[in-house]
Amino acid sequence: MKPFAYRRATDARSAVATVAADPDAAFLAGGTNLVDHLKLGVACPSLLVDVSDLAADLVEHLPDGGLRIGAGTRNSDLAAHPVVRAHYPLLSEALLSGASGQLRNAATTAGNLLQRTRCGYFRDATAPCNKREPGSGCPAVAGHNRHHAILGASPDCVATHPSDLAAAMVALDATAVVLGPDGERRVPIGGLYRLPGDDPTRDTVLAHGELITAVELPAPFGGRARYRKVRDRASFAFALVSVAAAVRMHDGVVEDLRLVFGGLAHRPWRAAHAEDALRGSAPTEVALRAAADAELLDARTLSGNGFKVPLARNTLVSVLRELTDGAAEPEDDA
Amino acid sequence: MTGFEVRVNGRTHDDAPRPGQCLRTYLRGHGWFGVKKGCDAGDCGACTVHVDGTPVHSCLYPALRADGKQVTTVEGLATDGELHPVQEQFLAAQGFQCGFCTAGFLITAAALDDEGRADLPRALKGNLCRCTGYRAIEDAITGVKHVEEPADGEAVGRNLGAPAGPQVVTGTARYTFDVDVPGLLHIKLVRSPHAHARITGIDTAAALAVPGVRVVLTHEDAPQRLYSSAQHEIVEDDPCDTRVFDDVVRHVGQRVAAVVGETEAAAEAGARLVRVDYEVLPAVTDAHAAMRPGAPVVHDKDPVEARIARPADNVLAELHDEFGDFAAGLAEADAVYRGTFRTPRAQHAALETHGALAWFDAETGRLTVRTSTQTPFLTRRSLCALFDLPESDLRVVAGRVGGGFGGKQEMLVEDVVVLAALRLREPVKLELTRSEQFSGSTTRHPFTVEVEVGAKADGTLTALRVHVVSDTGAYGNHGPGVLFHSCGESIAAYRCPNKRTDAYAVYTHNVPSGAYRGYGLGQVIFAVESALDELAHRLGIDPLLLRERSAVRDGDPLTTASGAEEDLLIGSYGLDQCLDVVRAARAEPVGPVPGGWLVGDGAALSMIATAPPRGHFGEARLRLLADGTFELSVGTAEFGNGSTTVHRQLAASALGVATSRVSIRQSDTDLVRHDTGAFGSTGVVIAGTAVLRAAEAMVGALLGAAAERSGVDVSRCALVGRGVDCGGRVVPFSELAAGEPLTTTGHCDGTPRSVAFNVHWFRLAVDPGTGEVRVLRSVHAADAGQVLNPMQCRGQVEGGVAQGFGAAVAEHVDTGADGAVTTAAFRQYHVPTFADVPRTEVHFADVTDPLGPLGAKSMSESPFNPVAPAYANALRAATGVRFTDLPLTRDRVWLGLSRD
Repeated sequence: MKPFAYRRATDARSAVATVAADPDAAFLAGGTNLVDHLKLGVACPSLLVDVSDLAADLVEHLPDGGLRIGAGTRNSDLAAHPVVRAHYPLLSEALLSGASGQLRNAATTAGNLLQRTRCGYFRDATAPCNKREPGSGCPAVAGHNRHHAILGASPDCVATHPSDLAAAMVALDATAVVLGPDGERRVPIGGLYRLPGDDPTRDTVLAHGELITAVELPAPFGGRARYRKVRDRASFAFALVSVAAAVRMHDGVVEDLRLVFGGLAHRPWRAAHAEDALRGSAPTEVALRAAADAELLDARTLSGNGFKVPLARNTLVSVLRELTDGAAEPEDDA
Repeated sequence: MTGFEVRVNGRTHDDAPRPGQCLRTYLRGHGWFGVKKGCDAGDCGACTVHVDGTPVHSCLYPALRADGKQVTTVEGLATDGELHPVQEQFLAAQGFQCGFCTAGFLITAAALDDEGRADLPRALKGNLCRCTGYRAIEDAITGVKHVEEPADGEAVGRNLGAPAGPQVVTGTARYTFDVDVPGLLHIKLVRSPHAHARITGIDTAAALAVPGVRVVLTHEDAPQRLYSSAQHEIVEDDPCDTRVFDDVVRHVGQRVAAVVGETEAAAEAGARLVRVDYEVLPAVTDAHAAMRPGAPVVHDKDPVEARIARPADNVLAELHDEFGDFAAGLAEADAVYRGTFRTPRAQHAALETHGALAWFDAETGRLTVRTSTQTPFLTRRSLCALFDLPESDLRVVAGRVGGGFGGKQEMLVEDVVVLAALRLREPVKLELTRSEQFSGSTTRHPFTVEVEVGAKADGTLTALRVHVVSDTGAYGNHGPGVLFHSCGESIAAYRCPNKRTDAYAVYTHNVPSGAYRGYGLGQVIFAVESALDELAHRLGIDPLLLRERSAVRDGDPLTTASGAEEDLLIGSYGLDQCLDVVRAARAEPVGPVPGGWLVGDGAALSMIATAPPRGHFGEARLRLLADGTFELSVGTAEFGNGSTTVHRQLAASALGVATSRVSIRQSDTDLVRHDTGAFGSTGVVIAGTAVLRAAEAMVGALLGAAAERSGVDVSRCALVGRGVDCGGRVVPFSELAAGEPLTTTGHCDGTPRSVAFNVHWFRLAVDPGTGEVRVLRSVHAADAGQVLNPMQCRGQVEGGVAQGFGAAVAEHVDTGADGAVTTAAFRQYHVPTFADVPRTEVHFADVTDPLGPLGAKSMSESPFNPVAPAYANALRAATGVRFTDLPLTRDRVWLGLSRD
């Protein structure tokens, strides 16, 4: 680990000012991702500004029926929150499908959303990686890429975003409240994440020094929702494919729906084509398959991840079948 | 930083943490050694502590954050001398083996609420155990009691707890690194970024300029002498191809230099600044390509001196033998199956990484090496040979070893600490990181096995041939041993008049392979058991029936393609009982299956010699202490396999005393004469025999001494618990201890050898849509001879099955085109978690072996071996697809189904 300075922030504004003024500074929240990266030499900040004392761990009702979640709310507390369990079960499901009890006890809401990819080359400080060292190359394109992206990737980076929570937040149309040196702005989570393009170093649209202070959820979507994660083993593995879905039915027709894939792209992948194909339609098997195929039409596979296309299609169809016809399926991957 | 204060287990520490220090190192630095380092990345849970009552990974918790908080480690779970209920429960169920993960499990379990206890697969996601297979942990948390307290002298065959149990559950068991050595210096290794290169220069100036860096050691400081990192009784069995630091690197991750610093941080900073110039050379990372003409030569050495079969062809060792007439046998067959099977690199993943400390005794000047090893005596011999030290000048000792699985039958760190200690004359330590463990220690040998097998219509085998290519990686170490063993019991397990073997252990520029549970057998058994199963399907016979017809029977000679091994025989035979267990399980109703899923079942068998060939020596010494108790010293090491428990049972039973009257010392070259050590499944059969002999000799010595003391004829003297009844008067042992010192020894030379059997059976359901497989039932039948401790032996079986299950479905160390390991963390390398491992029903055959102690056989490596083929065979039955490449991950299963 390289030496660094450490400061404990007492208010968000000065924390933002400090980090914004120093290009080598970084925020430290729960630390479950960043401390690991410090040890691996993947992250080498010269200054850490600890934001865990900012008391940003409140979960409050909003006047419009929505919910405001403090950025520092621990993953374990959020998953167990009675309002979240009752009205946003997708969040609980997504959170509990990931990590372990010990990690959720330490990891925060914003930290979870901003966690970095688990691409093995990114995490290996001795390997080339355009995300870590721009211009050094992407060994995953011709290397081990079983876990890598099939949607929206670029020749420079084929990493996937690892967060289960992020996929669920996108499906819930959540908004991040962001504090920057010039004040506060609101960024829909759907627009928070970037595709890699020719600058994979940036995972999100946030500028250096911007700090997520809260996440706001709109009033509950209603209908039924499900987070389903397909992975190599029963627990403690990142998604090969995940689906965050919410569906509202009316008279046998899909009134509205939100579909998001995790594990397929550099960002949670809002399946807008599939949504459009199904909105207002009867969810027949043929329609579900066609919707999934429409979304995956642009999928580009690598040597090791071709299986993700049919796996994503089958998983989406299976989740939609469950949400639209009431026939509960066996629990997958709890 | 001022005003830092943390309360740990009720005690206050107020010295500020170093910048960047995580809570784990802070706690260990203050002597809380119960907090373990297993991965340093939040994956394994061995470092779990409570911060204000909430379990967190202390490796990812910045120590500064603990300011003003209450921290509880495993040492703080007990209050006022009363164990916490979970500690009692882990003792009662013996929910541990090596115990390295146990503190983390205890801390996690202690904080569980009812919801967590009702959903253990989810609640225990953050804690890995490599030894137990989790059933014992589940029993512990749910309050099942297994431990018995038998009457004096009746310990054998009963469920005794491990002698170290109370220390394990209180966090006071001392593992390799749990010692406080004043003035300890730290070593960090510089490793090669190239698969094959010649070092043309090393510039250490910048590293030496780092404050606190004491020395940088390179190939110029290392002995020229070549050795093998493998440890065996006969040194000449292993190739001589390794230097402490070489001027040629042969795999990415090979150690190039050691930086010794006053702190880990200084050593690490120095290591980053060592500049190495390389002349990059061509490399080969595929074993088949390595054997082709013109391939880069990995070891350009003299074949005789280096003990390499054909260095120019990269062939380290080879075997070409035929028994009977294979071609004629094939011609006689009604059906023939030929298939090629592949098994990947796998990691032992013992939760304690490799590491060692070395220091000089202040008074005697004698060097002590404390190391995580399975072989203290062999390691001492290797170190003495390497550094020209007399054995009397070196003591090698192991603390409690946090898992081995074969990986610690290897000298991977001790040579470096001795080199540094001899140079500096100061205490030094080297502890590998988890990532170094993956890229710079050893792995299971990847095998490609072609099998050709022919049979008559009734399933009688007529011909069996295997063609084996084993990738030994950049160094040979266990390559020959693993290769020869792989083609031994795997082939000898079947009656077949015509057998042929062609086998090659091949050098490549990959991370070296090494000894791994099963020692090659598992790889070839996967191939042979899969091939026989497929042959049965093609003949239209029940695969179990084919095995019943063609497996060896009691009284059969054991023949491989090389003929019979002279000291190996079926000393006792329980395979028939094992197969009966599977037949009965299979006949029971299937139970509920998800709609649309495919269901099938399959079995595989395995045989293993109860000890390694060519000599394995066990040594034990028993001493009567002044208080009338006994001290048992054994040379072999314990790394969680439970051999120490059995040793105490054997000694106590022979002496007719309670096990609490026998204390144990072990794994220390000062204790006994030479002992080969803990590998080859020898803990019970060989070391146990030595213990039994020492105890039997002690019985004679006690009776003799009592007769002499009492004047009563020895024929009227008998042991009675705490003394000797001499014609009515009891002479207490403590009285005998006052006379001539009573010490006896026991020795076992490990020959002749018997065989043990294992049969595994799975019933699986497969979702054709996603490739997801669920285990509906898992049954394991074992012929362990007389089972000396059923609870522990069951745990050994379950742990072996879990490791085999990981190998079957999940584990693979991946390497890039340059051989660099790309799966260097538990996040990527999937050791099975609680949720992954199916519960296995374990059955023991009722068998008594005439060769093992009190009828026992080995049961350590072997339960691993039949698991993967049983799984593949069940998949075949369910899906009609023969899967030939491990591991059987979901995408492979799914792709296999879609190809069909």
